[in-house]
Amino acid sequence: MDLSLITFVQILVAVIAIICLMVANAVVMVYVERKVAGFIQRRPGPYEVGPWGTIQAICDSMKLLAKQIFVPANVDLVLFFLAPVLAFFPVLLLFLPIPFGPYLTPWKTPDGLVLILAFAGFGVLSNLLAGWASNNKYGVLGAARAVSQSIAYEIPLMLALMAVVFQAGSLNLSVIVEKQGWVPWEWNIVTQPLAFFIYLICLVAETNRAPFDLPEAESELTAGFHTEYSGMGFALFFLSEYANMLLVSFICATFFLGGYKGPIIDGFWWTIIKAYAVMVFIVWIRWTFPRVRFDQLLNINWKWLLPLGLLNLWITAIIIKVVN
Amino acid sequence: MFRAIWDNIKGIYSLLVGMAVTWDFFFSPRYTIHYPRKVVERENLENYRGPLELTRGKKEQDQTRCISCQLCVKACPGHCLKVTKGKESKSPESWLYDFSLCCLCGACVEVCPTGALAFSHKVYMVTTTREALILDLLKDLKERVAETPLLVEAPDSTASQEPSAAVVKEA
Repeated sequence: MDLSLITFVQILVAVIAIICLMVANAVVMVYVERKVAGFIQRRPGPYEVGPWGTIQAICDSMKLLAKQIFVPANVDLVLFFLAPVLAFFPVLLLFLPIPFGPYLTPWKTPDGLVLILAFAGFGVLSNLLAGWASNNKYGVLGAARAVSQSIAYEIPLMLALMAVVFQAGSLNLSVIVEKQGWVPWEWNIVTQPLAFFIYLICLVAETNRAPFDLPEAESELTAGFHTEYSGMGFALFFLSEYANMLLVSFICATFFLGGYKGPIIDGFWWTIIKAYAVMVFIVWIRWTFPRVRFDQLLNINWKWLLPLGLLNLWITAIIIKVVN
Repeated sequence: MFRAIWDNIKGIYSLLVGMAVTWDFFFSPRYTIHYPRKVVERENLENYRGPLELTRGKKEQDQTRCISCQLCVKACPGHCLKVTKGKESKSPESWLYDFSLCCLCGACVEVCPTGALAFSHKVYMVTTTREALILDLLKDLKERVAETPLLVEAPDSTASQEPSAAVVKEA
């Protein structure tokens, strides 16, 4: 692979733009999440700071920036400070192969999906390091849960995405979008409904969000793996949670919802609208369902999602073989 | 096997029902009253425990029922009451109540033999100093008497304690 200067500059600009996107997304999503939570519980949500509480998220992030980073006794200092950084930065890479628009792809690589699936495990590694390094029983329990949950749910996630890849015949995300049409019934959600359903469940589990937020279950583990983090350490975990959410939403939009294609004019606005629709759906799920028990969580995966994913992949492969 | 699959389909249907409920709630009107800016309705304050107030006498409606027995002062866990007995009669000369120390436990209301104490429903109390939280309850009672000399209707503060106090004998 030759990395010319232009490619290098392109990726550099893309990374800076993605960092801005991630931070802006976190600020917006904190506000959206609290508003949706409030409305679902029939209260107004943030209301006092700024008009309709719009400045609330910015005030909260200012507070987090100014807070002391408290280091508990007997922590593994290197890992303790490495873990939040590891949680935040690998997510940047995962945005690179996503086609935001017809011409707006940070890095047009033929193996985009491989890159995403390979680096997706990094988030769990950082959770494990954070839980282990902070010398806290809740942290270790949360980390253990994060690892077993992630191992379980990455397999059906991969199987669901592989079905789409079989159909498109390419690992390149731009090609996958190109194979879909601009009207909803030409999207992969119609041809692969089961894969979409499996992906939707795995997406919530992969981002550690309710009802699958076992690693940070507040009522059981205080805050799970980030119990001992304060100030910017906590803020980085927070940012990475929302960045992961954004990433899986973009992948969902790309693989199943037609990506940048839509009525009138194709463009990045369709990707963003679709991704944020998925995000609001995730938030809606969070404020509707109670947290599942850990054995239920693993049962859903090993007993249902994995066989269903395999079956779906098998049927897809047979149909493709027959049609060709 | 088939039964398990059927159970799961039913389970997914129940999840959809739950999502429909939250969808409805999302578009329903809010319950919240934006408290300092909007007036809280009286019925929402019925069971609100505000700072203490002295109830009015059964016969002499401009007098307190307090007999300065000091039981409330002894019962108070926060030592926030200060009752001074009058020189001529049993009724108190001064009745000071430090709201900054009060935990609103209601021990004084329960122990009072004459039912002279009750929780008020004041929600619009704002101050920036500690001194302003030391309330003179006799003064407060006088102000209320000046406002409504005779109780025609049952005010909430006395109605919850002594319903008979509300009955007014027309002269």
